[in-house]
Amino acid sequence: MVNQKSLCIVLFAISTIAILACLVINFEAWIVYAVAIFGIPLWILSLGLLTMAKPKPEDAEERVKEPFTGY
Amino acid sequence: MNLMAEILIQVIIAFLAGSLLLGLHRKIMARVQKRPGPPIVQQLIHSLKFFFKETAIPNTVSKVFYIGIVFILALIWIVGVIAGPVAHDSLLILFGVYAVYKIVEHNAGSSSGSPYGKLSCVRAVLSAATELPLFAAIVLVYLITGTMNIGEIIAYQSVHGPLVYSIPLAALMFFMLIITKSPYSPFAITKDKVLISGFETEHFGVLRGFMLFSEAIAWYVLLWVFLTIFFGPLNAVGYLIGMIVITFITGFINATTPLLSPNHSVMTQITIGAICFFGTLLMIFTGVVA
Repeated sequence: MVNQKSLCIVLFAISTIAILACLVINFEAWIVYAVAIFGIPLWILSLGLLTMAKPKPEDAEERVKEPFTGY
Repeated sequence: MNLMAEILIQVIIAFLAGSLLLGLHRKIMARVQKRPGPPIVQQLIHSLKFFFKETAIPNTVSKVFYIGIVFILALIWIVGVIAGPVAHDSLLILFGVYAVYKIVEHNAGSSSGSPYGKLSCVRAVLSAATELPLFAAIVLVYLITGTMNIGEIIAYQSVHGPLVYSIPLAALMFFMLIITKSPYSPFAITKDKVLISGFETEHFGVLRGFMLFSEAIAWYVLLWVFLTIFFGPLNAVGYLIGMIVITFITGFINATTPLLSPNHSVMTQITIGAICFFGTLLMIFTGVVA
């Protein structure tokens, strides 16, 4: 969980910087397209993984255990 | 305007407009079925709310794949926004986006350990039948205009009038794709209620919010492409009215039509597609279409 949080912070920072850089500097179109295509989803996903609520430690196991047993 | 600023504005417009249109779609379906229905902003509020909900990753999923697939879903529809409203680029890119969307449906189902997701994943392969009418519609537009570039198709229509008048059957084929993609569609075999939420069943919390974000953009892009390539150059008001009218029509159809079984869904789409395709070819080669 700590690794996931660190990774999300790094990806969030990278995508934010890349998007802001394209807003400030007029790069070539293909660079802006590449940043938009990968940067915008990455920014939203990393932000979402940081803002989401986590289960309480005593409930954590219950949340990830599948109720199905027959397949 | 700065290119990145333009892309960001278009993505935000696509998300807001798409969410509100999908909310309107639910409202219309509810009113047709004599229910009050949720508020129109409910879809938008749901998308944002899920980002703060508790999220856990089930033990049975393939973790990287399970998270990665929602990233790819957003990625392809942002490509759709760039190829469509931003750059007015080739229709083939949008065809590619839709083809990859089917692969995403398939893989979102298979990445979860849920039997509902897996069954939906199998049905996603069948539902790829909708790509044939889409490709046929693009081919017919190319036969008439001589180009697949959206900007050039708009220019063609500003001289010769909207394509819906010259190739109405191709427009009907594209409209069938829109019905297929609309929520609670008779052709939506991957999200049959028997399968709970189909390929989305195991994606909840922030990942579901992210999927709703992508689906709102997808709805906006599909409506934008349909209006652009068949109804000629439109201004913002024209797009707004067109999108509301199409959402109204699809909402009415979906509220009054039961979900078809997978084989009937595929056969119906292929049959309508074939009739429209050969009908339009007949119109072109007999000189009905100039």
